[in-house]
Parts: sequence; structure tokens; C-alpha cells
Amino acid sequence: MSDITLAKPFPDKRNKTKVDLARIIGFAILLIVTIAMILPLGFMLSTSLKTTKEMLVFPPTVIPEHFAWENFKELFVNEEIKFGRQYANSLIVAIMTVIGTVFSSSFVAFGFARYRAKGSQFLFVLVLSTLMLPYPAIMIPQFLLFTKLGLHDSLLPLILPSFFASAYMIFLLKQFFSTLPNELYDAGRIDGCREVRLYWSLTLPLSGPVLATVAIFSFIWSWNDLLAPVLYLDSQENFTLPIGMAAMLSSKFRIAPWNLMMAASLLSVLPIVVLFAIAQRRFVQGIVLTGIK
Amino acid sequence: MSKKMGKTILSSALVFGLVATACSNGGSKDGDTVTITHYTIDSPDRTFVEKLIPEFEESHPNIKIKVTKAPYEQFDSKLQSSIAAKNAPDVTSHWGYGGFMEYYNKGMLMDMTPYLEDFNAADYNIPEDVMNIYKVDDKTYGIPLNSYVTVMLYNKDLFDKAGLEYPPTDYEDKSWTFDKMVDYAKKMTVDTPNLAEAQYGVDFGFGERDQRPQYFGANVYSDDTWTNGGKPSEINLTKPEVVEAYKKIYGLIWDQKVSPTPAFSKSVSGQFGDPFLSGKIGMSVVGSWSLAASSDFNFKIGVAAVPQGPNEKVRSVLYVDPLFILKDSKHPKEALEWIKFLITTEVQEKSIELSGGNPPVNQKAAEKYYSNFEGIDPEQIKQVFEGAYKYGFESYNHLISNYSQINELFINELASVENGDAKVEEALPGIQEKLKALLERVNK
Repeated sequence: MSDITLAKPFPDKRNKTKVDLARIIGFAILLIVTIAMILPLGFMLSTSLKTTKEMLVFPPTVIPEHFAWENFKELFVNEEIKFGRQYANSLIVAIMTVIGTVFSSSFVAFGFARYRAKGSQFLFVLVLSTLMLPYPAIMIPQFLLFTKLGLHDSLLPLILPSFFASAYMIFLLKQFFSTLPNELYDAGRIDGCREVRLYWSLTLPLSGPVLATVAIFSFIWSWNDLLAPVLYLDSQENFTLPIGMAAMLSSKFRIAPWNLMMAASLLSVLPIVVLFAIAQRRFVQGIVLTGIK
Repeated sequence: MSKKMGKTILSSALVFGLVATACSNGGSKDGDTVTITHYTIDSPDRTFVEKLIPEFEESHPNIKIKVTKAPYEQFDSKLQSSIAAKNAPDVTSHWGYGGFMEYYNKGMLMDMTPYLEDFNAADYNIPEDVMNIYKVDDKTYGIPLNSYVTVMLYNKDLFDKAGLEYPPTDYEDKSWTFDKMVDYAKKMTVDTPNLAEAQYGVDFGFGERDQRPQYFGANVYSDDTWTNGGKPSEINLTKPEVVEAYKKIYGLIWDQKVSPTPAFSKSVSGQFGDPFLSGKIGMSVVGSWSLAASSDFNFKIGVAAVPQGPNEKVRSVLYVDPLFILKDSKHPKEALEWIKFLITTEVQEKSIELSGGNPPVNQKAAEKYYSNFEGIDPEQIKQVFEGAYKYGFESYNHLISNYSQINELFINELASVENGDAKVEEALPGIQEKLKALLERVNK
């Protein structure tokens, strides 16, 4: 009983009002920042519902005079845009990239984190040094390779590299795997686990947060990537969303269809918002645990 | 890891490798049929050619056409990498940032002359001087497809409100001068920080920034540029007439205050938009492609001649888009068949509608183009186009080597003048030095 009293001291009234004031100011600042962040999104939504004529009016109207829901329909029925097809392609590439990155990178990171061998440190530095290589530096050799393999104008060149691990993700995962206690692995070995089993049944289940982080990062990168798809894809049937959306603004010979563009943008951020909402708790935890921002 | 697993991984890698390489033997020749790749920007006014393919393939059963595309911003990088990978398209144009001379100097273009023996430009109603734009040393490297000119568009509503007479369409009407345009502009300008009320008289977008002094009779580059493959031996940015020309151009914004600032333009029309569309600009000197969207404007528009400036010979920048055959093409004859098909009168007429208003190079088809714009008298458009051809000079970006880098330098370095942070005479010497260094580096 006395413990409880100690844990909850008699509340100091003056102190309480002070705290409340601080909270009010805090919330006010948060509210202002939130509004500032939401405004562009609101403008995106409003523009996506405007007709072409209303889109050009200045000063712009905040709420559209006539809600042009047909803009969203237009995206899917207009044969020249092929939005549905591009959306599906982007989803295929992004999901396959996530699968590839998560498994290959965690496998390599597991090796670096759990085993010591001559030169392993050097190898790790070598892997990390590839982080310094910008994509345009490897663009042409990789393009030649995939063209020779006959994979040009297919989604495979966008997916396959992710199955060969990414240096950034290896680094992220290795940091986390190194924090797992050795005793766990010793216990596993005593129970008769082989090394692959230690990876599959012990390391992966314990690494939920960091795997979620890797999944989200690789999904976002693949989802937003424009340069590689532009290089590899020729036919409109294979285009991904970023190409389709860049093409909407492509010509200086006409008025850019900002309303369709905004409708497409709204739909294109959906998967990322959904993914983030699902994995948010684990995602933040992953960043905190690995010390990576 | 068990040996079994290792074997499985190794064998699946081998199988994958075999399957993947097996697909790589696809060539462009299938029996007697040849496939020609037409590479273009992904925009409806270019990709409409896909709709012309069935008709072409019907009359040329041994040729198949494949269209590949990329967004405008990525057009050049995709082209460069496909050339590097020996996977180059057969037919394309300079639709990205780079221009004809850049392609020519990089050795990307095929000399079409040997295949043009029985080709007569007159059969396709292409004027001889237009045909000559893409010749170097009497060798033809490109065949014109579309020809845009510089026009003046004006907002009839603003003219009516200010009680002004509409500007003329006849280039021979010499009373329509630059100074008169500025007078008109002053009467329409409301220069105030309040965006909702502000409006400006004229937006003078004559060519790119380095070509603009040409209108005032000053040349940024030495005359040998037009005969030596687009490599200027001298830069004249510090010569008094060039400095004066730039003072006049930017004086419209900062001294006369009749032109919109870049900040105003961006706030009413976004990063790359044309502020004229907002209805807050009286007159806009602009490429004729802006006409294509005229039916979407929220106000009545008219088209007029670019006013007479100090240079009596040049009043319009011409943008003649050609089609090239790339050097690595294995089927130049078939590629040429496709190009010839695209410039026939019938196909050029059809293309006007399919593209949403591309101006044909074929002068017979051009008659149809002039009557393509709602609310504008075809006779007026015809008069403006004919005057523009007469007083036209080809756009620098088609004629100067490594133009994309030069243009970027001008955009970046003149930004301080456009934003009112520096004076013309302060900025030009710096640009002169940087441009010299750039040209020395790229034209070695």
C-alpha cells in the first residue's frame, strides 16, 4: 500500500497547470505542422477532382465546382494511359523485389554477423563500398548483360538484381543480427539445429522489426524507381507507374493533364500508405534498434 | 547446408542461364520480314504513329514497325544506353534535350544520301530550304517531318478590356513594332504583389535564351558556327550589341515591368507551365505548339505576327523536326520507306488530327492544318505561318553541337538576372568565361 503512495505522490496543482500549458503549446505546434503537411495532399485531392478547364483557373479553386470523379475512371479506361496495367506491373516488380531483397540480403547479413573467417571483415568492407557506386555507373554494363541474356523489355531485369542482395540492406540487417545473443545459437546447436536452420528458425523469427524495415525500404525504392524501368522497358504493356506518370507530363506541345496526374498520384501513394500503416510499429522499432535513421 | 541443397542451387542457376541465353538470339529479321524500330517520346502527339502502322504494313508486307518510347526527360539517356548496347532503334528524332548537331557530332546518324537517289522533296511538297536544314556538306542526315514556328498568341479578353486594337497577322505590316508591343503591354499590365490582381502585358519567349539577342540583331555566336558543324569559334556575350539586347529582354521584366517575373510565372502555372494559360498575360511570343491546346483555354485567343524588331531578317524561330536513321540500323532502305510514308500528303493530313495538331512539313497538308483551330480564322494562321517561314531562323538547339549542356549553362547563369538579383552587365562576363571553358572541353 505504502508503495503505491510513493509511486503516485500527491499531485502538485501548480505543476499540473504548467504541464498542461506545455502540452497545449506542443499540440498547437503539432497541429500547425500537420496542417502544413496535409495541405499539399489536400490540393492534390482537389486538383484530381477538377475538370481541365477548372484546373487552369487562377486563382485556383479550393473545392472543385463539379466533382470530376470521371478523372479516376479515365485513368483506367483510356487506352493511351493503360494505368491499370502499369499499376499491376509496378506491384509485381515491387513485391518480387521485396521478396528477393529480404531473403538474399538477410542470408548474406547472417553470414557476416555470425561467422568469423579470414578476410570476412575485408569482404564486408568490399560489399559496403558498393554503396558508393551510383546507379548510372553500373547502368550500361548491367544493361548490356541483361540485353545479352535476352531479358530486354521484360520485368525481369528490374526484379533479378534484388535476388543478389543489396549492400545497404546487408548493412542494416547485419547490425541487427549482431545484437542477437550467442547463447541462443549455442542452445540451438545443442538442440541439433544445422546452420541453415539457425538462420531460418531462429534468426528470421527474432528479426521482425528489421525485416519490416527492409521490406518497406525496398518496396518504396522499387515503387518509385524510374531510371531502370525507362532503360529496360520498351512496350507500353510492360511500363511501370513512374514511367506512365512521367509520360503524362512528357510533352511541351499540350497542357499537362494535372488533374489526371494528381488522380494517378493519389492512387500510387495508396500501397505505400497501407504498407506503412500495417508495418508502422515494427518499422519504427527496426530503425531504433539498428540505430539507423 | 547439405550437399544436396548445394547441387540443387547450382543446377537451377545453370538451367536459368541456359534458358535466358536461349532467348537472346532474337533478331530483327524473320524470314523475309524486316522489323524497323521507331523510337519516340511517350506523349500522344508522338505516339499516334502507332495508329498509322496497320496501313503501312498493309502496303509494305515485308516491313514491320515497332514503336518504343520513353518520357521526354529520359529520352536521351535511354537512347544513349541502347546505342551502347548495340540495341539502337532504326528511326528517331532529336525529341529530347540534345539536338541534330549533337547527334551528328557523336556519329549517331546515318548518311541517307545513297538511298535518296530517286527521292524528290517536291513530291512531298517540302520546300528546298527546309530540306537543307539537315544537310551537312551536301549529305542528308534527316528528313523534315513537322515544322513549328514562333508566333504571337494574345488574350482577346484582355485586349478588349484595355480597349486595344488586335495586333496584325501580316508580317509586312511594318507598323507593328517591338516598341508598339511594349506600349500595348503597358496598357494591360497591373504590376502588384497581389497575385489575384496582377497581370502582365507580354511574355517574350523568343527561342532559347542564347538565341533571343538574334531578334535584336545581335549574335551570341560567331558566324562560322552555322557552317562548321555547330562549333562556335568565338563567343560575343560581352560585345555591346549583345549586352544591349539582353538589357532590352530583361528590361521588360525589371525596368518596364510589363513581363511576369519567374516567381509570378511559377506561382500561376507551376514549374514548367506556360503562364499565358492562366489568362493573366496579354501577349505571348511562343512556339506554335501552344496553339494545339487552344480549345482548352478559359479565354478567347488570337494569333498574330511577331512584331518587327531591330533585326529586319529574323522575327521567328523555326523548329523543324526531322526523322533520322541511326548509323547502326541494319535496314536503312526499309527505314526510309517508313519515313517516306509519314511525309506523304495523305498521311500528314491524317496526322494533324491524330496528333492533336502537329504542323505538317508537307505544304499541301499544311492547308488543312491552318483550319484546325476553333475560333481562329484559318487565313490568319496561314498568313502568320507564311510570314514566320519567310523571316525565320532555325532553332539554335538543332544547329549547335552539345546544345543541351550549353542551354543548361544559360538557364542556370541567367537565373540571377531573371530573378532580379544581378544586372545583365554583371552576369554576362561570367557566362562568357564559363561558356568558353565548356566549349573548349566539349569541342576538343
